[in-house]
Amino acid sequence: MANDNPAVRLRRGSDRLFPGDRAIAYVAVVLVCAVTVLPLLYMISLSLQSNAEIFAGNPVLWPAQLQFANYASLFERAPVARFLLNSFIMASLITLSHLIFDPLAGYAFAKFEFRFKRTLFIIVLATLMVPFFVRMIPIYVMFSQLGWTDSYQGLVVPFLSDAFGIFLMRQFIEPLPNTLIDAGRVDGASEWRIYRSIILPQTRAALAVLALFTFVFQWNNFLWPLVITSSTKMRTMPIGLTLFNQEYFTQWNLTAAGSVVLFVPTALLFFFTQRYLVRGIALTGLK
Amino acid sequence: MTSLATARRTGLPTRGHNRRRTLAPYAFLAAPMAFFAVLFFYPLVQELITSFYTGPRADQFAGVSNFTRAFADANMRHSFVVTFEFAAGTLVFSILIGLVLAAMLNARLKGSVIFRGILLVPYLTSIAIVGLLWRNILDPQVGVLNRLLVAAHLPTQTWLNTSPVATIVFIAVWQQVGYTTLLFLAGMQGIPESYYEAAKVDGASPWQRFWRVTLPLLAPTTLFVSVIGVISSLQEFALPYLVTNGGPGDATSLYVFRLYDVAFTFRDFGYASALSYLMLIVILILSAIQLRIGRRDHGE
Amino acid sequence: MPRSATSHSRRDALRLAGLGVAGLAGAGLAGCSRAPSTPSSNTTTSTGSGGGNKSKTFTMYWNPGHVYKAYEKVVKQFESDHGVTVNWQKYQWPDLQTKLQTDISAGTLPDLVEQPGGDTAISLALTGDLLALDPYIAKDGEKMGFPSDWQSASVRPWQHGGKTYGIQIHLTCIQLYYNKTMLHDAGVEPPSTWDELLDVGPKLTHANTYALALNQVASYSDPWFLQAGAHLYDADSKKVLTPRDKAMKALQFQHDLIYKHKFSPPPTASSDYEGPQKLLSAKRAAMILSGPWDILPIKQAGGVDLGLALPLKDAQRKTTLAGSGVVIPAKAPNPDLAWDLIKRMTALKVELAVTEEATQTMPRKSWGKQPQVKSNPVVNAIAQALPYGVDWAQELAPTGKLPQIDDAFNTLYQSVAISNADPATAMSKFDSAAAKVLG
Repeated sequence: MANDNPAVRLRRGSDRLFPGDRAIAYVAVVLVCAVTVLPLLYMISLSLQSNAEIFAGNPVLWPAQLQFANYASLFERAPVARFLLNSFIMASLITLSHLIFDPLAGYAFAKFEFRFKRTLFIIVLATLMVPFFVRMIPIYVMFSQLGWTDSYQGLVVPFLSDAFGIFLMRQFIEPLPNTLIDAGRVDGASEWRIYRSIILPQTRAALAVLALFTFVFQWNNFLWPLVITSSTKMRTMPIGLTLFNQEYFTQWNLTAAGSVVLFVPTALLFFFTQRYLVRGIALTGLK
Repeated sequence: MTSLATARRTGLPTRGHNRRRTLAPYAFLAAPMAFFAVLFFYPLVQELITSFYTGPRADQFAGVSNFTRAFADANMRHSFVVTFEFAAGTLVFSILIGLVLAAMLNARLKGSVIFRGILLVPYLTSIAIVGLLWRNILDPQVGVLNRLLVAAHLPTQTWLNTSPVATIVFIAVWQQVGYTTLLFLAGMQGIPESYYEAAKVDGASPWQRFWRVTLPLLAPTTLFVSVIGVISSLQEFALPYLVTNGGPGDATSLYVFRLYDVAFTFRDFGYASALSYLMLIVILILSAIQLRIGRRDHGE
Repeated sequence: MPRSATSHSRRDALRLAGLGVAGLAGAGLAGCSRAPSTPSSNTTTSTGSGGGNKSKTFTMYWNPGHVYKAYEKVVKQFESDHGVTVNWQKYQWPDLQTKLQTDISAGTLPDLVEQPGGDTAISLALTGDLLALDPYIAKDGEKMGFPSDWQSASVRPWQHGGKTYGIQIHLTCIQLYYNKTMLHDAGVEPPSTWDELLDVGPKLTHANTYALALNQVASYSDPWFLQAGAHLYDADSKKVLTPRDKAMKALQFQHDLIYKHKFSPPPTASSDYEGPQKLLSAKRAAMILSGPWDILPIKQAGGVDLGLALPLKDAQRKTTLAGSGVVIPAKAPNPDLAWDLIKRMTALKVELAVTEEATQTMPRKSWGKQPQVKSNPVVNAIAQALPYGVDWAQELAPTGKLPQIDDAFNTLYQSVAISNADPATAMSKFDSAAAKVLG
């Protein structure tokens, strides 16, 4: 249809707010992107500066000599490869678990009526409203009695599911047409079969969104891994980074190098799932 | 057997299917709720019980005194107010900037996919790095920003000292801008073109189209951003911890930041639990209000 | 709203699956390398060895800034002498506090813990979470020289109710650090008293340089109060910051340094201490108040000929002591081993090796008399200053209210120094906050 053709739409005169508004929009967006990305470019610059430059007190914009050795030094000073592996295992396992459990609960809340549904949903949502460290110590005590301290299951189990993921999946599944489900029932399909073959395929985009947000959050999780690990070989990357702070000063170049290394996997995952994001969120029934 | 055949012909569910359907939600919820019971409800209830005790071992019964104490505690009251300012500022600017950026990107600017990606980069970065980086940049004496301003013969800034709350609001918005823009953009792209066509036929200007078509149809997205935004900014901890350490003085001593001190520095876990639950009640009320407003608008 | 049911290709599904497979592969790994641990003993495998290690594990929590090569040698020797594996975990101070709290709640304690100061140790001792070291000291004290060879002001902060709960292992103090060249060019000597500071200040303050850069951290302001003749708490009268007129004098003096004489830029609220050191390194501050922790960054930044002078004097020449110490948790699995390690790490020759390596200064009186110390001008200057040091909080720590008063004091200092609050108003706010805490 001609009306859907973006080229046609743009040529209409009544689309202009005022002459030159596109140019201003461009400038505004570029400016905002600059403010967004320049600090992180500065972080890259920090990661390549020498000790003299970071302690100097006159901030250096771009190092005189690119100290790529800082990255090597990072991997030498601490078992950073191991930290990254631990972070990856933790974030992946948790993400996988969310992808399995959150849609189950989201579907139940979205498409079924049952007693206490609203109350249960509010209670579930309420778990988002308390900071994590409120439940941290009881869980730690529980885990230490189970012998799960300093282990992968210790790292992973507290986060296998949460209200944010359930809420997101519920919002997505709710607008799906009930006729699809009813058709499945008429055909005599079991509820499980309906879920697996009718509902789940529709949620792929939302699952991609959930995977990205969950992975990023868990990748950068600091407090629980700090508390549950007690050996160097189980540490995750964010805690590993704290090793580069001396007591009273921060070794900025190494910390920045570690931060860049920490950032790379999330950036990769993001490009991986980019195409789903806008489409996925558009379909989550948030409008 | 016959009834099943009849059901297939008429499309009505059978009794057996009915029972399976009633049980189905419980089956689906069994595993997630079992998990929630052990890893959320049990620890949270345990901490709720703790809030009625005091002392570093939380073993001296204190009744509701932890709760009444919170209202008399000038420090906590101050933290509560500052946290509200922070949350309001972050929410308002996130939504405003997100809306404007989404509107611009929605107009099919060339390269908008790249811009979308760049905008999300801060969101993908660990908050620890974000906080320390901005602290480094904004330092009035030795920070990069002032160095650049000096080189450009512009006046230097001391925002960390003069406007600390505004500064951490800025950093929070900076980190979230890509996320909110993305949500609004997706919301906008889901609005059928036909609505805009109808408005144009009615002679609406682009500005009017934005107000009358885009914004109202974006209401559910705005609601989501707002509910989640309130829940998370009222619980902000990392930014005051990393950037200003609650300072200067207690200017940026946000609620959960102060709470953390109560728990781990003053070692009063009972009081800390009570404070957490008080904030929970506040957030519940605010979320309920927002959801109620959202539901009312939806009915239009 | 129409939606296409199959808008995603098989390729996309495979991509998602790929993520899942990676996760499953991780799950496979998880099964193999779970470290076994039981609640009451820390038998987690150590950093260096691979799987199948059956030797006893000794766990210690330490600050990453104090992992000196000299200590690493001692630990290695300790490992082989006792046939144990040392699990040496490093945490920043706040993280260490968090971790220790969780350990206490669950009963899974390490064997040896470094603590930033006596006051935090007393806080733990008050709740029965630390082992009293007196039996060990009775046996070995004389031989190791504790407490006779320790600076006396470094012993009391770790004591409570007549018992000793910790041993100081590093001793530092705050004194004047200055740029020799800048002072020489201005034709002045480093000031020795408050009046002399007021004299040299104008000569060292110019368009973009300051005479003395003050720190944002409230504990750097403690020495001024001591020098004026005030102290934090008087146990008899139960008053804070007393005598009040002297405390006000100190507060006002600091305020004036920044806002009246403009010798110092207003500090910036932060979570670190680096500001003044950076200004000194950038040659934008002629003097700062600091301790040996800044020596390495200043040296690495280069370009500054560093001089040290004694703490200032007003009514008296005094400064605050800092420096970490070690404690043994009450429920430590291997307390005897912990004590042995303490003895080894505090031996004089180890202290000297650490000083040599990192310019860290030490609590032994005999350390200050060694030729290695005396011949090093920087270290010797610190050794000269240490006897003027006292512990700022030792009167208050036994009340268990130190953290709350600290918090109020931090607000007091920062509002005056950073936010230019009126000292009298700020002080009365501090008083009401303190009254609420102390009752």
